[in-house]
Amino acid sequence: MSEETVDVVIVGAGAAAAAFAYSLAETRMKIVCLEQGDWMNPAEYPSSASDWELRGFGDFGLSPNGRGRPEDYPVNDAESPIAISNFNAVGGSTILYAGHFPRLHPSDFRTRSLDGVGEDWPLDYASLEAYYDDNAVMMGVAGLAGDPAYPPKKVPLPPVPLGQVGETLGRGFNRLGWHWWPSDSAIATVEHAGRAPCINLGPCLTGCAQGAKGSTDVTYWPAAVRRGVEVRTRCRVREITVGEDDRAEGVIYYDADGVEQHQRAEVVVVACNGVGTPRLLLNSRSKNFPQGLANRSGRVGHNLMFHPYAMVQGVFEEPLDGYKGPMGCCIMSQEFYETDLQRDFVRGYSFEITRGVGPIGTALAGMSSGDIPWGPDHHRAYSERFNRTMGMVAICEDLPELHNRVSLDPELTDGNGIPAPKIHYRLSENSERMLEHAVARGREVLEAAGARETSAQAPLPFAGWHLMGTARMGTDPEDSVVNEWGRSHDVKNLFVIDGSIFVTSGAVNPTNTIQALALFIAEQVKQRLANLFD
Amino acid sequence: MASSLPNELSSERLQLLAGVLDAIIPPGEGDDLPGAGELGLGEALQRKAPELVPLVAEGLGALEREMANRQVADFGGLAESDKRSLLEDLGSEQPGFLPALLFQVYTTYYQHPRVLAALGLEARPPYPLGYELEGGDLGLLDPVRKRPPLYRRT
Repeated sequence: MSEETVDVVIVGAGAAAAAFAYSLAETRMKIVCLEQGDWMNPAEYPSSASDWELRGFGDFGLSPNGRGRPEDYPVNDAESPIAISNFNAVGGSTILYAGHFPRLHPSDFRTRSLDGVGEDWPLDYASLEAYYDDNAVMMGVAGLAGDPAYPPKKVPLPPVPLGQVGETLGRGFNRLGWHWWPSDSAIATVEHAGRAPCINLGPCLTGCAQGAKGSTDVTYWPAAVRRGVEVRTRCRVREITVGEDDRAEGVIYYDADGVEQHQRAEVVVVACNGVGTPRLLLNSRSKNFPQGLANRSGRVGHNLMFHPYAMVQGVFEEPLDGYKGPMGCCIMSQEFYETDLQRDFVRGYSFEITRGVGPIGTALAGMSSGDIPWGPDHHRAYSERFNRTMGMVAICEDLPELHNRVSLDPELTDGNGIPAPKIHYRLSENSERMLEHAVARGREVLEAAGARETSAQAPLPFAGWHLMGTARMGTDPEDSVVNEWGRSHDVKNLFVIDGSIFVTSGAVNPTNTIQALALFIAEQVKQRLANLFD
Repeated sequence: MASSLPNELSSERLQLLAGVLDAIIPPGEGDDLPGAGELGLGEALQRKAPELVPLVAEGLGALEREMANRQVADFGGLAESDKRSLLEDLGSEQPGFLPALLFQVYTTYYQHPRVLAALGLEARPPYPLGYELEGGDLGLLDPVRKRPPLYRRT
């Protein structure tokens, strides 16, 4: 057992923890980060070997349940139409994310005031703007200034290539008079901060062997470690301990050898994502907090938000780019982002154009859909689709609902015997109508771009990438878990900094906002050091 | 019974399996695409997915029995429609056989250098060489640039 009391212990080493640790480390406080995974070795990423596609269904799969790495914990998502996707390593889920890096819109912080749904955030777009800018430099964001869907913003690197896919769809959007723009992407399109430029490997979702994608193991963490932050890997935290005075005392964790350890700390920071964070808080029960730590509001675990996804694909006559280029990052459209009262839903969605998949991905997708049968017709059907298929996902805003939540499974545990999370989630009628609208508009733009046939799937069952809302921020301790700068209402030296604190989800990938919030909270801590626990 | 199932397939079973694989992905017509049966995928399956060998052996055993019932001596000599009928009819007795085999065949076939070459692809992993990709014509954005702001001011 460690006798040392550190200034700050951070649980989790993903997107939020990396930004927070880097920023706070300039204070020279003693900061320790505990991560249940390990540092990744880019040489072992799938794109370095001939079985690169297959490994995306195996040890680099999206679901921790299917992946089954020892550092993973199981998630009971059997009753949810959307399964959880995550990754446990230094870098967290940024190891597997596409690198899509849009910001929230100003309206996303004011959904109650503007549209009468969700809740207003206790901060606004302007509060985060400078942190978005700082984050763009640290993560290496590629894009193009001038997007009319956003207030003016800085984009430090040139955009990812449009390629045949982007140009073809761009023409389709133009024919309909709809918005589109090169995606903001955390992908170094030119050499940036020691990172080699993107060479269009394709499978970003199984790790970037080139190191061009901005996963935090190659962005913030090396800089944070240089500032003195200690990252302890293969350390799985079981619970946060708390004293009679309602102050967090530290964390109990299992080290790489499975030995129980207690790390004492003046400040405890939780950054385990929208599922892992409520799991840890709910597992941290004590006399003063019998329903879980920081849970006097009863809100921990509730208001779980995903982004329900629709996928719409088109088959084209002409050859495209195959699987070349950043798979998920190309162009996006926010034509249907803001509320339009003429539609039968509120809020909106983004279209994100996806590039093609490889030979195996094409075959398996065709097998699953029945479009590529086995037998004499196989080669004809395959040749019509391989390198001729592209499409998009619609990423729909999910509104907070109390009944969508994370609880503890009564039986399922991880490798250390710690109760696993259970997901309770159902799609709202608003989401269903939005998905239906997105599928229809997706087909329309694909046809305008020249697709000879289209197909769609909604919701995407494996797309629980974005985990938000389960320890949300707010000014009312009865209805939120942390205050407007990330500190627990109930435990004055406990902070939550990940997607759990989102009040609403917006309709864009959350990583950029998660990190901007983490930088904002770190700045608040630095400015309030003299009276941080008041 | 699982305990009596083989860990590897006999040469006769491998030959029958090759015929089944060719029925699933036959040789291409007018191109260089090989049939799945001629690529040694049966042997590869034994090496890479040994846990599937008992299932495949059971499926092939059921196929042999059904061929005997229908007085078929040579699976490869059947018409394509008869091959499909035979394999699909196995579904009631061996429901896992064909789906498992399809996954293995599709994933192994489309990784094979001969197949990749026939598709016009380089038989190499993406890294370290990567690929060239056209930057594209950003002038296509001109009509979008002319639009007023789309975001709502708050």
